[in-house]
Amino acid sequence: MKAYIGIDIGSISTKGVIIDGDANILAESYLWTEGDPIGAVKRVLKELEQKKPAGVQVKAVGTTGSARKLIGVVLGAQIVKNEITAHAVGTMSRVPDVRTILEIGGQDSKIILLKDGIVTDYAMNTICAAGTGSFLMSQAKRLGLAIEELGELALKSQSPTRIAARCTVFAESDLVHKAQIGHKKEDIVAGICNAVVNNYLNNVGKGKRVLAPAVFQGGVSKNVGVVRAFEQILGHKVYVDEFGHLMGCLGVAVLAKKSGKEADFDFGVQDISFVTRGRECERCPNNCEIISVYRGEELLDSWGNKCER
Amino acid sequence: MYKISFPHMGKYHVPIKRLMETLVGEYGEVFAAPPITKRTIEVGTKHSPEFVCIPFKYNLGNFIESLDLGANVLFHTSGDCRMGFYNEVQEQILRDLGYEFKLCILETNARNRSLRDFHAMFKNLNPRLTYAKTISAILLAMRIIFAMDKIEKYVRENIGFESQAGELEKIENEFLRNVAKVKNFLGVGAVYRKYIKRLRAVKLSKPEKPIKVGVVGELYVLMEPFSNYFIEKELAKYGIQVTRFIDVSYLLFSPKHKIKNLLKESDGYVSYEIGADGTDSVAKCVYFAKNGYDGIIHLKPFGCTPEVNSIPIVQRVSEDYEIPVLYFSFDSQTSETGVKTRLEAFYDMLEMKRGTQ
Amino acid sequence: MGKWRRNTVGGMKIGIPKAFLYYKYQKMWCSFFEELGHEVVVSPNTNKNILDMGINCSIDESCTSAKVYMGHVEWLIGKCDRIFVPRVVTFENGDATCTKFYGIYDIVRATFPSAKLLHYSIDYDEGQTEWKAYKKLGAELGAKAAAVKTAYKNATLALSQFEKDLAEQQENALKADGLKVLIVAHPYNIYDKLMGEPIVRALKELGVGVLYADIPDSMQMCNRSKNLARTMYWQYNKELAGAVDYYQDKVDGIIFMTTFPCGPDSLAIELIVRKVKDMPMLNLIIDSNFGEAGLQTRIESFVDILSAKEKHHV
Repeated sequence: MKAYIGIDIGSISTKGVIIDGDANILAESYLWTEGDPIGAVKRVLKELEQKKPAGVQVKAVGTTGSARKLIGVVLGAQIVKNEITAHAVGTMSRVPDVRTILEIGGQDSKIILLKDGIVTDYAMNTICAAGTGSFLMSQAKRLGLAIEELGELALKSQSPTRIAARCTVFAESDLVHKAQIGHKKEDIVAGICNAVVNNYLNNVGKGKRVLAPAVFQGGVSKNVGVVRAFEQILGHKVYVDEFGHLMGCLGVAVLAKKSGKEADFDFGVQDISFVTRGRECERCPNNCEIISVYRGEELLDSWGNKCER
Repeated sequence: MYKISFPHMGKYHVPIKRLMETLVGEYGEVFAAPPITKRTIEVGTKHSPEFVCIPFKYNLGNFIESLDLGANVLFHTSGDCRMGFYNEVQEQILRDLGYEFKLCILETNARNRSLRDFHAMFKNLNPRLTYAKTISAILLAMRIIFAMDKIEKYVRENIGFESQAGELEKIENEFLRNVAKVKNFLGVGAVYRKYIKRLRAVKLSKPEKPIKVGVVGELYVLMEPFSNYFIEKELAKYGIQVTRFIDVSYLLFSPKHKIKNLLKESDGYVSYEIGADGTDSVAKCVYFAKNGYDGIIHLKPFGCTPEVNSIPIVQRVSEDYEIPVLYFSFDSQTSETGVKTRLEAFYDMLEMKRGTQ
Repeated sequence: MGKWRRNTVGGMKIGIPKAFLYYKYQKMWCSFFEELGHEVVVSPNTNKNILDMGINCSIDESCTSAKVYMGHVEWLIGKCDRIFVPRVVTFENGDATCTKFYGIYDIVRATFPSAKLLHYSIDYDEGQTEWKAYKKLGAELGAKAAAVKTAYKNATLALSQFEKDLAEQQENALKADGLKVLIVAHPYNIYDKLMGEPIVRALKELGVGVLYADIPDSMQMCNRSKNLARTMYWQYNKELAGAVDYYQDKVDGIIFMTTFPCGPDSLAIELIVRKVKDMPMLNLIIDSNFGEAGLQTRIESFVDILSAKEKHHV
């Protein structure tokens, strides 16, 4: 059976899937990048190889995420795509009539609007981390809670506290203040969830109409408190897919298949040593960061020069 | 001996340098600020007020780099928004840093432009300057600006379709080197004709209906490619045909830029001028929407009031005509990867839309 | 925007957003509308709710003052027959306003397409004098020309009386003993209940006398402003800069208060701070998520510095 691999290499986590020709997931892997994208991809490939059903031949590979280009070179990928397109394609393979994709990750968040299977508009966070996962994480820590506890606790709240949360620094002082004057912990937590959603809608979702069906993805979608906050503020249901975290790699696997290019993929690539060398060009004050990728001693590709020479 | 320098914006240092050299004659040496690099914006940011818009920081960086090379006369232009008050603040900042120089302002606002003031300013530097010389130098500079804008327009619209990458730009650069050396008015025409012919001879592989994108927004980030992360070149890589109206010929001399005409073009979306180039952005978005463009890209410095004014109105146009608009705000913290990812996704979106039609 | 029928003369409810130029021209507007037989509804003081509404319907990068304005406009929707959204852009002496005021009418139109608005445009550069603007406004309200003329005259008088009273109060405040601080801020920021008032309250609680830079005579201050900023052309900022020049040897300290990311203030304050020597100055930048606790601390420590300095001199 023909199959396709999609890998999504983010700054925090690396995800991979093998799919069949109908976009059914045959194997999946999800682990931390730990600052070493090549190592993470090798570990993902190892896990995929182990989970892969017998008789499956991988015919094409796609990469997405912030290290997509590097990994694309290393794996000789048939397609390298940005994460916006990959997420849209992946989500549509699960929910074909989706109109809005809400995504809140660790440091990035985005919104994608679709109509009739086409991306019509999108936006990414531009200003700062307020309204992303790292914001939620730091606030949980401040309240002495584990991030996992946050969601369940928020659901208990009857009247969420109003928190000024446009900026992490301001939010923290406001939070301390609210706790000092005796707001209940669950109300504060629910207030934080509301703040995350409001920040997101104000920054990323500004001027965009969130139509149903809406799908919520990214690390923060695992937090039921934020899901409820979205539903209350938007006034309609928000779906969370159990495979939500895999939409990027699923999408790029689908695109790899669609590329029409095929070549048998060799899992042996795990055993080859790849080296990336980054250096700052010193020929002018631009100091372009030149990245070169080597297989053993052989230069595979290099990029990063922005100057005319 | 005057050492005269001025900040950058795109490739306009070519006619500006030529203009000043003619006017100042043997009384001064003219040089453009060193080309903008990361260092320029770092130095500029360091000494600028925190919330000022990004062109201020580039200009200040240019000035500092010029002064460090010994400039003692600096030229700057005026502007219709905050830019109109840049000069005095920049002058104070530079003086506080201990630099000594003379600052001269080229008035660009049509209402305040005066040949007499312009002549007097240069006469001050060059006592032998005659009115006739001033006029002929201005006419020559204008002629060069018109020619280079026309050449650049041709390159912009076709660079995405070169069979061999880099050819058009190579010819354009050669044109700029030669047009800088022309003797007179007539020379410009000859050089222009020679190079436009060469440009037209470059083999293109242009599809019948390429994806078309219009670019609108604030003038500096539109015209200084370093400040917009070379967005037009990036678009070209995807084989997108780019249209932009704003260039110096358009801003200074085109009747289409007159507020009355812009309000008409904006078709009721604005009833008054909304500040600087904001009105232009709305008008051109309406134009692009009505003329079958696939998408619009709106560029501005972070916090640019006139362009922030234009956004809610542009959003209305975008919704009514179902034309996607991608917004960028530039400051010294803008991430280049972010810009590229967004552009790539924008292209994917336009291409997917095309595919289903 | 559709024009309403001319025969709806008198008895209209005209809503005025309590933000932006309301703080400059309220007496004139109210007097004008009331004399022509209309009822004026002013939106309430800014509260968190109004600010939230404003944030939600504004572009993120808009200045906080503009967001507050939008919140007031939204509050008025459904509570009056027309919302008054004036446009004031250039003046007789060639000065201008911030481009936010150029665009605000069209921004409101684009943001609330079904809201019924009423407006005038004062733009001397385009020949639209204040009188012409009011004349047009009066005609749009269906009033007779003679009535409009009288209403305009009385409105002008109401405004100048109001300004005179304020100036007198301020002169008296200047004579009082004790520490005095000049607040340099646009009236729509400093007199706003949510943004500016906490600052004034904190100062008064510390026993500091508060003077406002927007109060002294506009034309005199514009002329004086040249001492600090030669080429500035925003009238409202010139008034403030002129007042800094006027008061600088009469006060103990200066507090600048601006909203993020105000364009004119970003440059004007920088220049003033660089030019005024030997004067304690504090720059407060208000964002849409300000917390009062931080503000209090900064004002207290500033006043501490002023008191220490005063003791030192005595």
